[in-house]
Amino acid sequence: MLKEITLGQYFPGKSFLHKMDPRMKIILLTFYIVFIFLTKNYVSLVIMSVSVLGVLFLSKVSPRLYFKSVKAIIFIVIFTSALNLFYGTGEPLWQWKFLKITESGINTAIFIAVRIISLVLISSVLTYTTSPTDLTDGIERLLKPLSVFHIQVHEIAMMMTIALRFIPTLLEETDKIMNAQKARGADFESGNFMNRIKALIPILVPLFVSAFRRAFDLAMAMESRCYHGGEGRTRMKVLKYTKYDYIALAVLTVIFVGVIICNLYLPATLRSGM
Amino acid sequence: MSLLEINNLSFTYGTGTAFEKKAVNDVSLKIEQGEFIGIIGHTGSGKSTFIQMLNGLIKPTQGQVLLDGTDIWANPKQIRKVRFRVGMVFQYPEYQLFEETVEKDIAFGPQNMGLSKDKIKERVESAARFVDLKPELLKKSPFELSGGEKRRAAIAGVIAMNPDVLILDEPTAGLDPRGRDVLLSQIASYHKSSNNTVLLVSHSMEDISRIADRILVMNKGNMFAFDETKKIFSRGEEIEKIGLQIPQITKIMIKLGKKGYKLPSDIYSVDQAVYEIMKIRNSQVSKKKG
Repeated sequence: MLKEITLGQYFPGKSFLHKMDPRMKIILLTFYIVFIFLTKNYVSLVIMSVSVLGVLFLSKVSPRLYFKSVKAIIFIVIFTSALNLFYGTGEPLWQWKFLKITESGINTAIFIAVRIISLVLISSVLTYTTSPTDLTDGIERLLKPLSVFHIQVHEIAMMMTIALRFIPTLLEETDKIMNAQKARGADFESGNFMNRIKALIPILVPLFVSAFRRAFDLAMAMESRCYHGGEGRTRMKVLKYTKYDYIALAVLTVIFVGVIICNLYLPATLRSGM
Repeated sequence: MSLLEINNLSFTYGTGTAFEKKAVNDVSLKIEQGEFIGIIGHTGSGKSTFIQMLNGLIKPTQGQVLLDGTDIWANPKQIRKVRFRVGMVFQYPEYQLFEETVEKDIAFGPQNMGLSKDKIKERVESAARFVDLKPELLKKSPFELSGGEKRRAAIAGVIAMNPDVLILDEPTAGLDPRGRDVLLSQIASYHKSSNNTVLLVSHSMEDISRIADRILVMNKGNMFAFDETKKIFSRGEEIEKIGLQIPQITKIMIKLGKKGYKLPSDIYSVDQAVYEIMKIRNSQVSKKKG
């Protein structure tokens, strides 16, 4: 049952997005997020959300998965939108006691909903189309300039890689331990709050013990293969920008410029600052 | 009435998804009180899924498991009671130890059963005796024990529940040859003295053939064979075809049989083999003399 949990899962494929360099994907994602929040009127909002849908289509990942990731946050979307709906200023279109809905309230609610959903979708694209190792490789390369400030970028990236690598392993381990304790009559499903917390001890202790055991084993294995940190370490797969990255960069630059032009020359729908 | 009656048991993983896979397919069999059953099969043959359905850790997608004639899932709220009666020792059980002392860890099962303090103490002591854990080890932390001792302590934790059926999944995995022999003989003597039913899952035909009354052979989720040990080995060649090892001595007997010696095909111990070969030799010698 724990196997069904997805944590930024990667789906192997051969789409345009899969072939892109992780660095370019991370950079463009950052810009995407910024521009999603820079949209000031409906034209720019439509440009951004349509382009998000385009990217989803290009990723060739099943729409069901995207639907699932949106479903996970749908309550936050509804809650924040509803809150904003009643916080507008200006002429009320509808009023009941202290609750009033104004045009600006409706606009803000729509903007918030579209922005949050786009944000989640575009971020899922990155994790769905980039393998965890590629992702950390990309982050490592991008953060490399920080080593000037004595930040150990390679070590941080290696820790991230290892952590990601061990999530499924530890989940499987948890499943096994839970079954073993259930077989001895452990009861995780009933009882009050305190009892349920206590019931976790027989799982957590063996899980920690095995996590440490695995950590020692891994450290030993890395050392026996002469791992000594990032210094002077070369890569088997060197990250390289290809035509896919340049095409993506060009297309998205056009879209981003379009958004800026819309913001500058068309009237803003939202109050400034939103 | 059989102790365990398994009717058309099936389990399918990930129904309705692309990963749908039938792990166990339509298995039916009966196990009597006091039997020693060996279960053998490849990794992925469905034996782990099968045994986990016997104590209600996995709910079958089809079919039922009858324990003393009642379906174990008749009342899902009572499934814990089934788990006390059908004890399960998983692979590498030492990784489930968690208590401060070995004694407390062995007591975890009996405690969950709601037994009295005296009763628990008695159960812990007799379980420790079964697996030959010295009394002074009981006060130690389980993490201070050696690998073999940890394994035995974990097995004692299940035996302490005094289950009617004891299922062991590869209990000898990762032990040295001596540790393996010792553990197997302890399991055999537990079976003899308690007269409880024991199900032993193993990769090794050699191990199983020595102690099991009947053997269940699983292949690709199906029941390939379920019969007395002797009869299973008379089908030695078929079993080799599905990729399972048969005891070396059985292989030799099959090869000798092909060379034209008249030998029974159901031999799986060296003693039997010696006896049969001597019989042939003696008859040849007496022929020559005569």
